[in-house]
Amino acid sequence: MRLLHVDGVTKRFGGLTAVDAVSFDVNEGSIKALIGPNGAGKSTLFNVLTAYERPDKGTTVFDGRDLAGLGPHQIVRLGVARTFQNTQLFEEMTVLENVLVGRHPLTRTGVLAAALRLPGTGAEERRSREEAERFLRLVGLERHAPAPAADLPHGLRRALEIARALATGPRLLLLDEPAAGLNTAETANLAEVLYRIRDMGVTLVVVEHDMGLVMEISDEIVVLNEGRKIAEGPPRLIQKDPAVIEAYLGEPDNA
Amino acid sequence: MGRLRARGLLLAVPALLIVLVPLLVDDRFVLKVLTFVGINALVVVGLALLFGYAGQVSLGHAGFMGLGAYTSAYVTVRLEWSWLAGIVAAALVAAVGGLLLALPSLRLRGHYLAMATLGFGEIMFIAFVEAEPLTGGVDGFTGIPYASVGAFEFGTPELNYWLVWATALLSVAVAYNVVRLRPGRAMRALHGSELGARACGVDIVRLKVQVFVLSAALAGIAGALYAHLVGFISPSIFTLHFSVILLAMTVLGGTSSIAGPVLAAALLTLLPYVDAILPGVPESVATFLSEWETDIYGLSIILVMLFAPGGVAGLLRRIGARRGRSSMEREAA
Repeated sequence: MRLLHVDGVTKRFGGLTAVDAVSFDVNEGSIKALIGPNGAGKSTLFNVLTAYERPDKGTTVFDGRDLAGLGPHQIVRLGVARTFQNTQLFEEMTVLENVLVGRHPLTRTGVLAAALRLPGTGAEERRSREEAERFLRLVGLERHAPAPAADLPHGLRRALEIARALATGPRLLLLDEPAAGLNTAETANLAEVLYRIRDMGVTLVVVEHDMGLVMEISDEIVVLNEGRKIAEGPPRLIQKDPAVIEAYLGEPDNA
Repeated sequence: MGRLRARGLLLAVPALLIVLVPLLVDDRFVLKVLTFVGINALVVVGLALLFGYAGQVSLGHAGFMGLGAYTSAYVTVRLEWSWLAGIVAAALVAAVGGLLLALPSLRLRGHYLAMATLGFGEIMFIAFVEAEPLTGGVDGFTGIPYASVGAFEFGTPELNYWLVWATALLSVAVAYNVVRLRPGRAMRALHGSELGARACGVDIVRLKVQVFVLSAALAGIAGALYAHLVGFISPSIFTLHFSVILLAMTVLGGTSSIAGPVLAAALLTLLPYVDAILPGVPESVATFLSEWETDIYGLSIILVMLFAPGGVAGLLRRIGARRGRSSMEREAA
């Protein structure tokens, strides 16, 4: 079943066309990778999908619903969560509190209910803590729960962002370079975590430069170059695609 | 849950001490100064939510106090409505002011927001001077009655003290509840990373408006309490200078804390009256302190920023962490 439908999305910044008429579908329960040299438009595309940027043209449809005109917080509520290339953690809050903020769309306690401690606020809080702890275990951060996010070792910061995104209860999770800065062991562990997330029924779209990881985990790959989609298909076909090879030979650092 | 109860006790003990003060202090002047501490504490609780938790600066809070004070004065003196109606009107009018000031906060950050809120405070000041038919202009508004509910009048310093501190402690309790649950976490998330907060489904526009409105309403109530306590208000009270002092209290108190800013409000409010509070301190010290008040505030902010960025709350937390660690070591031993 088609969960996400991206149709002719174009985004320009002044004279630069960062994303140029890109279309693709993401099937429910799959892992799709989005690759391409630096500046290919991958992060911009994420920003358009999650309403941090408005597209100049094109539509995105999630689960049969057009996302045009919605704000980022509304898109999260529909079930599309994301992480950032530059991690956006709440540094002064603890690791557990970071994930608790992720529970925001699934919980209700407002200022008035909290101020008066209306019935139900305590139960909701306990439930949120249980859920948050569950996601911390999933990414292997349970030991760090009481530490400030700022104190987290570099290799674990992205894991925390993934746990926080999962806490929002997504059906589609967009990960922007989850393996950036990870060593080999950490990357292998990340692959396991991503499989577990998929097995929970969450569909994944991953922007990633680590080709080993991309080839291993993805069911399908979309290749962008200079804002345009130049190839789409399963990993073994993408590896042989002449257009892809040419795009990457131009920038061997990323191959 | 056990920790929650321990924290409740931690609040209950100082609250009890505060309530008992009028029975121990028979100096009317001292009691009045301590009542002003309560009024400033009430404003600072709102500023702590706005600045210490949500990360939105305001240099216009004296303006909200003034809005509340003039509103309640007008409602009780000119319209001859009850004190309670005056307080509610003060909270509502100040809340509307907060709503208006929230609008620039949606587009401005940091220093630019500080400038916008400073502008708001100045506009309020000029409005209090110029709207003479409503405010009495530079001469001020006189003859504001004591607080009263039905036939009962808060006519003594003790009763006013209790009234102000009951309100202040209630605001502390409310603030504690808000910051420990979902809305407080959303505020701190907003402070930490707006992008991250939005990715967690936080409607940051709504949240900013809510915090500004709540913070302004608390300041409005504080202003109204002040008006009925003193009986006279004039524009010269609700100045930029006072806004700066209120923000200084919040900064010195530390971020993500309610108790810290309240404590800082007490310290800074009492500073110029140190001779009246502490026996044995010569009057010359107090005179010196009150003459150099603003400089001392400024210097203390610089020193806090340099050497204790967590403010009073940070110091308290460090002591708490050390005690926690030593008890853990004892358990391990």
